[in-house]
Amino acid sequence: MIALIVRRTGLTLLTMLVVSVLLFLIFETRIDSIALSVLGPYTTVEQREIWLEANGYYDPLWQRYLRWLGNALTGDFGTSVQFKRPVNEVLWPRLGNTALLGAVAMAVIIPLSLLLGVLAGMREGSVRDRAISFVSILTTSVPEFASAMFLIGIFAVALDNLLPGTTNVADGISLRELILPAAVLVLYDFGYVARMTRASMAEVMGTQYIRTAILKGLPYRRVILRHALRNALIPPFTVIMLQFNWLLSGVIVVEVAFAYKGFGYLLLEAASNDDIYVIQACTMVAVLVAVATQTISDIGYGFLNPRIRFGR
Amino acid sequence: MADRTWWKSVHPALPEIAEKLRREEIDRRDFLRTASLLGMSAGAAYALAGELTGEGLIKPAAAQQEETPVMGGTLRVGMRVQEMKDPAVFDWTEKSNQARQILEYLVMTDENNVTHPYLLESWQPSEDLKTWQLNLRRGVKWNNGDDFIAEDVAHNFRRWIDPATGSSNASLFSSLPESGIEIVNDHTVVLHLNEPDLSVPENLYNYPAAIVHRRFDEMGGDFEANPIGTGPYQLAEFSVAGVCRLTKRPPEEYWGDEVYLDEIAYIDFGEGTGPTVQALLAGEVDTVYEIGIEEIEIIEENPNLEVLQAITAQTAVARMRVTEEPFTDRRVRQAVVACMDHVRLLEIGYRGRGAPAENHHVCPIHPEYFPLPRLRQDYDLARELLAEAGYADGLNLTIDVRNAPSWEVNTMQAFKEMLEPAGINLSLNVMPDSQFWEIWDKTPFGFTAWTHRPLGVQVMNLAYRSGGAWNESAYSNPEFDAALDVANGLVDPAERSRQMEKVEKILQDDAVIAQPLWRAVFTAANRRVANITCHPTFYHQFNRVWLRSA
Repeated sequence: MIALIVRRTGLTLLTMLVVSVLLFLIFETRIDSIALSVLGPYTTVEQREIWLEANGYYDPLWQRYLRWLGNALTGDFGTSVQFKRPVNEVLWPRLGNTALLGAVAMAVIIPLSLLLGVLAGMREGSVRDRAISFVSILTTSVPEFASAMFLIGIFAVALDNLLPGTTNVADGISLRELILPAAVLVLYDFGYVARMTRASMAEVMGTQYIRTAILKGLPYRRVILRHALRNALIPPFTVIMLQFNWLLSGVIVVEVAFAYKGFGYLLLEAASNDDIYVIQACTMVAVLVAVATQTISDIGYGFLNPRIRFGR
Repeated sequence: MADRTWWKSVHPALPEIAEKLRREEIDRRDFLRTASLLGMSAGAAYALAGELTGEGLIKPAAAQQEETPVMGGTLRVGMRVQEMKDPAVFDWTEKSNQARQILEYLVMTDENNVTHPYLLESWQPSEDLKTWQLNLRRGVKWNNGDDFIAEDVAHNFRRWIDPATGSSNASLFSSLPESGIEIVNDHTVVLHLNEPDLSVPENLYNYPAAIVHRRFDEMGGDFEANPIGTGPYQLAEFSVAGVCRLTKRPPEEYWGDEVYLDEIAYIDFGEGTGPTVQALLAGEVDTVYEIGIEEIEIIEENPNLEVLQAITAQTAVARMRVTEEPFTDRRVRQAVVACMDHVRLLEIGYRGRGAPAENHHVCPIHPEYFPLPRLRQDYDLARELLAEAGYADGLNLTIDVRNAPSWEVNTMQAFKEMLEPAGINLSLNVMPDSQFWEIWDKTPFGFTAWTHRPLGVQVMNLAYRSGGAWNESAYSNPEFDAALDVANGLVDPAERSRQMEKVEKILQDDAVIAQPLWRAVFTAANRRVANITCHPTFYHQFNRVWLRSA
């Protein structure tokens, strides 16, 4: 177990290092556009050159990279060119907002999709299974931007602002403002997880030990709860861990539609303004989340399924 | 009006212009703006115009105001909240609107396109327009208690023209050397320019020209940290992409009339107008920075809201870089512009809200506009020109277009179809805004947005003069430059207009740009907001705005 964590940590650091080098190389070709996005399109080339010079952009690439790396190791991700303030000051509150949105969405997605998946998978091909599958496929196939507009149209416009279609940052984020964005995420995602759970449940229900348990006269309830569930929930567990990953990128559309100032929105803004240090920091966070959830999923797997043991 | 000759001491051209107004050679608006330009105070100019035309004293805007204004309340504005560390390098009007409530400008251009003295009491150009005396308003105090003096103004000019500052004002004052900034006394600054410049007053209201304190740089050059200004509001709360909250300064400290609003709150709803308009519809904000043309209908349907509109010289031009193939051949350019039906494009691209343009980038609302004969779509001419240029079998072109605002893509899509009958196959290279602004002045063929400027010659100097700072088409024509130089030296709009006939004609004949339309711009406000107008450049002038239900 410890060996696994150590190995994973090493792998994480290596991935982050490689990704950061790649990003730096990509942005190397776009140095001019950084000055442009800072000083605006209506400045002269001379003014931009003076700015680049003054801000150390003409130093060799490796020098700038090492400088960034040294600072990043001490937790200083540099200064955002777009916001003209430290990346840390911008990034963490935004990440906090997305965590809040994600937590609300996940708090609905996980119980809902597991319940529906299990209910559907218990009797494959039954009317209940068909109904649940139909709804799941339907909601999952509607893209987020469409369902966002749809919900805004119903709840904010047609129902005369029953629920706000935008997030007013003037006085913090209220629960009312979280409902619609979270609903979009739930609509898009629950069907997928439910379908995965259903498949896994259906497979378990078809195994011989379940058949044996039923044939030997155990109550159906007991068969499901004691024998089927634990085995059926292993694949959905991995899928759910992957959803955290998906959230970081999947929220972009939702956050833009609802003007929700989160991580996804920040990443989009940074990308469209060549805000290299913000992009770097966002990417580091994304890599960290990806590997961390994967590690948790692997460890959790071990607990859920005693047959799996990690080699040294 | 006892002494009818008092105004003659202001500028030698004034009596002549007054005479023209009397004989109705120029209209009242032209008189007002030229009189203001020549340093006459707005009140005096309006009064004189009333006397000369016999219409009596009509005060602009205020004349329609019948209700009694109410003090107090918070005006909530949906707008992006961006960093505002250094006003001289602002690259977005939104930034200047945040700062505009705290900082002030030497002059003010109102929503009718007339420029008035503001932090100045008056200005006096020399006859050759190379020396400008700026007379500062007295009794103005910074919100840190200091007096507003000539050193403040001189310091701002110095930092604008210093290339290390990176201010776009530098291009506007390129004819001003550092040694040309002279402090005569605490209340007088004189600018000695290398070349005549007609547009000094207008340039002083360019949005990065907000006047900061003389010790701005000493104090760290960070306006967010030291929001010291002369204006009626002060900074109470500020977070980028969040909120910018401004509260009223004690009225006895402020030089101007007492403002009505207690507080102005800018609230960020992100990029694009969609979520911001949502907030307006939901009553979460009272007004917004801008609404798109496609949002007018939904606003008009709501009884609580009203659409505000301003006619502007905002436009976009399909400009051809004359140094790149195939646009080096004038006949090719002429063929392209001959296919354009301006009126139709205005209908398709902008729902008819605005005015058709004429491929010479001088707008009917400019005082020096000269009406040339209307342009006509002419396919025979286009085909003939193409054949002469060696493209009898057709021509393939690609134009770079921004993906937003949508009217730009729509208009070029319609133009593409207009080009087809002449055998020109246009493909649209649609790209994101930030990417577009990297290539806007390099690409062979691009559809570039141009903002409103109060004077027609301003854009001519920037964009079409040989070596102009933003000459994106690389156009260079000595004849054009010479004609423009003459126009630049003419203060009288009627005289300048006659000269502009030549300038406009040369540019139109050389077919450097295919310019479809002049667009109106829109914003919207809740009906509880009184006295609010849409400024052609979205500058927020809220000093006279009040709330009906504060």
